[in-house]
Amino acid sequence: MNSNRNYRALRTTGGPSQTVPSASARPSSQAAVVRRGELIAKGVTRRFGSVVAVDSVSLTVKAGEIHGLIGPNGSGKTTFLNLLTGYYRVDEGQILVDAEDLTAAPVQRRPHFGIARTFQKPRLLGTLSVLDNAMLGGWEHAQSGFLETALALPRALREDREQRELATELLHGVGLGNILQRQANLLDHAEQRFLEIARGLAVRPSFILLDEPAGGLTEHEIEQLARIVITLRDCGIGVLIVEHHTDFVFRICNRVTTLNLGKMIKHGTPEEVRNDPEVIRVYLGA
Amino acid sequence: MNSNLARLAALVIAVVALATLPFWAHDPYQVHLATLIGSYWVLVAGLNLVVGYTGLLSIGHVGLLAIGSYAFAILAGQHGVNPYLAMLAAGAIGGICGFVLGLPSLRLPGFYFAMATMAFSMIVSEFLLAQDTLTGGGAGTSVPAFTPPFATPNGLFWLVMLIAAIVTWLTWNVARLMWGRAAIALRDSDVAAASVGVPVFSIKLIVYTFSGITAGVAGSLFGSLQSYVTPETFNFELGLFFFICIVIGGRGAIVGPLLGTVVLTALPEVVAPLAKLGQFFYGALLLLVVLLVPEGIGNLFAILREKIRPRRLEKHVVDPDLARLTSAIRSTPVS
Repeated sequence: MNSNRNYRALRTTGGPSQTVPSASARPSSQAAVVRRGELIAKGVTRRFGSVVAVDSVSLTVKAGEIHGLIGPNGSGKTTFLNLLTGYYRVDEGQILVDAEDLTAAPVQRRPHFGIARTFQKPRLLGTLSVLDNAMLGGWEHAQSGFLETALALPRALREDREQRELATELLHGVGLGNILQRQANLLDHAEQRFLEIARGLAVRPSFILLDEPAGGLTEHEIEQLARIVITLRDCGIGVLIVEHHTDFVFRICNRVTTLNLGKMIKHGTPEEVRNDPEVIRVYLGA
Repeated sequence: MNSNLARLAALVIAVVALATLPFWAHDPYQVHLATLIGSYWVLVAGLNLVVGYTGLLSIGHVGLLAIGSYAFAILAGQHGVNPYLAMLAAGAIGGICGFVLGLPSLRLPGFYFAMATMAFSMIVSEFLLAQDTLTGGGAGTSVPAFTPPFATPNGLFWLVMLIAAIVTWLTWNVARLMWGRAAIALRDSDVAAASVGVPVFSIKLIVYTFSGITAGVAGSLFGSLQSYVTPETFNFELGLFFFICIVIGGRGAIVGPLLGTVVLTALPEVVAPLAKLGQFFYGALLLLVVLLVPEGIGNLFAILREKIRPRRLEKHVVDPDLARLTSAIRSTPVS
């Protein structure tokens, strides 16, 4: 009855700020999470008919680093993110987490490799509460099968309690602690975006991929978003941001990759990318 | 806390009232009707997880009900199997049939899946007609009663209520815990569901198989109540009826579809003096509910409360608590 949720012991490579459970961590019987070091795309190509949407792009998201992905509309940023998360199949190239190849893994297996994501247009469960939406992110770590749940056996109840606690803490953390019971379709835009981040964090990911997280937010909300993203980095999570707000990207990212017409045109520190003549020509403008 | 206490009190009163129904009912027919509602509910409760939670348009559960009834009739009636064992076997057969039906058809999108389930119920009907040495063909077959202590009509009523309570409890557990959230995620956004690792197809298949089991058990109870079934008993309208009970009651809840089942089963009887208008009231009710409370009659009170005293949603500024965020992320044990 249980889906494959066996946690194979995996080789962990140390990221720059490897997360260590703090001494104050609450004693918990939760299944341990494997921390991964790198999410790697190697020469990834995707075609739609005769259009090459993503053309041999290589990129590495490292744990504890914020990686920005910028480029003009139609440059393949979101397509690339959908390749990393498995919504599209890769035509050529490879996607790896550390030494494990997940090129062929379906969407629903990606969280198992420590990958969480948010959506450009938030996808929430409108009839459920904020808390329930965030708790959904814990699915990967719930081991109880259907029968165990139907009979409300102790493990199912305990897991539910633990998910509720973690989701509550995460929601307070992203600033939604005062509306835990609000129905999700009553949320405003910023609240929806932050709830999606909380749901992604409930996956307990090593990498979180944010698809235009600042879209539609006010200055103040973008500032709060920046503080959250920096906190994630400091906790050892690798963050990939697809974004049009270039000041936001240049300010918080450790590394930036620029795409144009599906090809990578520049990769480097925010300083290097901002001053690259090609990037200025096709995207930033003079 | 107060509302929890009120809910508990309401539950206790409802249970006591139902358990003593045979003592205060005016005539045996009311007990019969309550038993019928109960056996329908055993099926609808399971189907509710499929339709109301997972969002699958299954309109062919009457086929699984028929399979349960005939399995029970053949095992207990023709082969003298203990009726309680026969009921469990009917549940198992219903589950297997649900699994076999779901395996290819659950991959179909929306309406195509609905058509597959409809085709299934038609195939079952034709099969029952064709296999007349086993099923009695068009003439039908008699269905035995249960053995004491549940042999009398009142006994059958209590047996049905007991099983209905168990099935309700099982579905309530599924609905309120992680599987309920995953099911609703499949209904409202399968993209979001997959992004957090919910295995889309296996959840659908498991939930569908469970609904097959409850349909099989419901078939035994229903058949035993009717004491005689023919393929015509399990017509397509009955399959649509189960689906409508859930839609009328409201998706994503348990009380709503329960209310829907009670109202839609009892309505034609309540307006019995106007027997010719029974179908008219049925149709009128459907129309009214769909037009006025598309959220379902289970949400009637919540909607009225919202109309009378709308909640004001104060705009608040999102203010992250970064220390709490850090400790929440780090609270996870890392191997």
